[in-house]
Amino acid sequence: MMRRILIVDDERHLRLLYRRELEDDGFQVVEAATAEEGIRAFEQQRPDLIVMDIRMPGMNGLEAMARILDKDRRVPIVLNTAFDSYRDDFTSWAADAYVTKGPDTEELKRTVRKLLEEREHLGPGEL
Amino acid sequence: MDRTATRNASLHPDTLKTVLAFVLAGGKGERLYPLTKDRSKPAVPFGGTYRIIDFTLSNCVNSGLKRICVLTQYKAHSLMRHVKEGWHLFASELGEFIYTIPPQLRVGSTWYLGTADAIYQNVYTLEEERPAHTLILSGDHIYRMDYRDMLAEHLEREADVTIAVLEVPARDASRFGVLELGPNQEVTGFREKPQDLDPEGPGVVANMGVYLFRTDVLVQSVCRDARRDDTHHDFGHDVLPGLVRAGARVHAHVFRGAGSAAMPFWMDIGTLDAYFDASQDLISVSPQFNLYDRSWPIRSAAIQAPPAKFVFAGGEKGRIGEAHDSLVSPGCIVSGGHVERAILGPGCRINSWSVVEDAILMDGVEVGRHAIVRRAIIDKGVRIPPGFQVGVDPDADRRRFTVTERGLVAIPKGENLEGLT
Repeated sequence: MMRRILIVDDERHLRLLYRRELEDDGFQVVEAATAEEGIRAFEQQRPDLIVMDIRMPGMNGLEAMARILDKDRRVPIVLNTAFDSYRDDFTSWAADAYVTKGPDTEELKRTVRKLLEEREHLGPGEL
Repeated sequence: MDRTATRNASLHPDTLKTVLAFVLAGGKGERLYPLTKDRSKPAVPFGGTYRIIDFTLSNCVNSGLKRICVLTQYKAHSLMRHVKEGWHLFASELGEFIYTIPPQLRVGSTWYLGTADAIYQNVYTLEEERPAHTLILSGDHIYRMDYRDMLAEHLEREADVTIAVLEVPARDASRFGVLELGPNQEVTGFREKPQDLDPEGPGVVANMGVYLFRTDVLVQSVCRDARRDDTHHDFGHDVLPGLVRAGARVHAHVFRGAGSAAMPFWMDIGTLDAYFDASQDLISVSPQFNLYDRSWPIRSAAIQAPPAKFVFAGGEKGRIGEAHDSLVSPGCIVSGGHVERAILGPGCRINSWSVVEDAILMDGVEVGRHAIVRRAIIDKGVRIPPGFQVGVDPDADRRRFTVTERGLVAIPKGENLEGLT
């Protein structure tokens, strides 16, 4: 079954890049350009994993993550930001992974694969 | 004997500023109904002029901890008003504060699912304050404790989390989380409310629900717990056993009490009968919990009321205003009535030829002439009509009021008894 990934990021070029790379890896990709759109897309599309930017116009990604986890506490979320400083922010610690944006998408793709594999091997409730 | 001075010599005063206290004050206290009809358990009046939360808050202040967040939820109005009126003694210029925080619904859309979820939903506050260590307390308990002892031990052992424990008899183990300890007081195992222990067997080590965490470990643990859907989202049930299994440094601190009592005292007032017993203890000549111990004062909201007054020294058909073995709060007038083994909250009035025995009357209760009140808890503002009897005819009491297994009568706040027979 094809896994569905939701990318929430306000940078269009980055969303395009991630879409291409993740589709090459065999994933289906859904995009959202704002946190609010991301929450709506989550509710409608029920993705298997979310890649979430933090700094976006309007609501930020940390708040969007909290709201999404309130609806589904188990959906894996990867925070993906250009700023390493959010790593120490306690409100980012509910995320499954934190990947800093860089020229190379390899770490992000590796993290996505790893989290999805882990989910398949775990029983209900475990993380 | 001032034990605190010697015990905490190693703790630098600035260290206390690295600690934030969360007081969990959302308890419904269903088994204390009807005292919890309009208020949460920590807001239930106790000892005449106090509320249950005052004991924990006094422990904080006496321990020098002045960064406190009181997490409320259920029927919080009474509690928030009490904290506002009674506990505004913090200097914000010095970084001191007490906040009452209702559920923010910032992270969750529901009320707190458990103790760990309460902290998860307030991670934002931890990010704002960035304390090195976080003390988690319950607003439901009656005890004196110097949290500095616990902090000193927590730091010395370099613990990830320190749990306050007390030894309880095996017959009480089924009410507690029971801990297994290694030779250096490290926690090696948990059993939640074990039912299979020999009641005559050796005492067990019980979890008091007082936790001191390294804040990073706390945030990690509650975030991990929040991502699971197979837990109670509770520290005792889930988070602490999980930390022990994961090999974290979980240390047990043996509760020693504070103040000048010879024996440390701790109590979770869970039921109306327990509430009554704890109240009767306060009255006794040598109480286990002494409100008059000035070395570890318990404070509360100041009461603006004149002194208690006793009138009628006898004469007309035994009309004597008197109280024996009782606590009588300011503003009370014992006017020709007889009070024995009772606690009168502020502003009660006991009228002529009435009898109040083995009873707890909260603020503003009026007992009419010739009325009898025995073995009863009367909540605020109730007017006992002249000649009315409570605690005399058990069948009549059961028809009209809440009556406990042991036959105590409880009458809720503001209940109108006019016309009841």
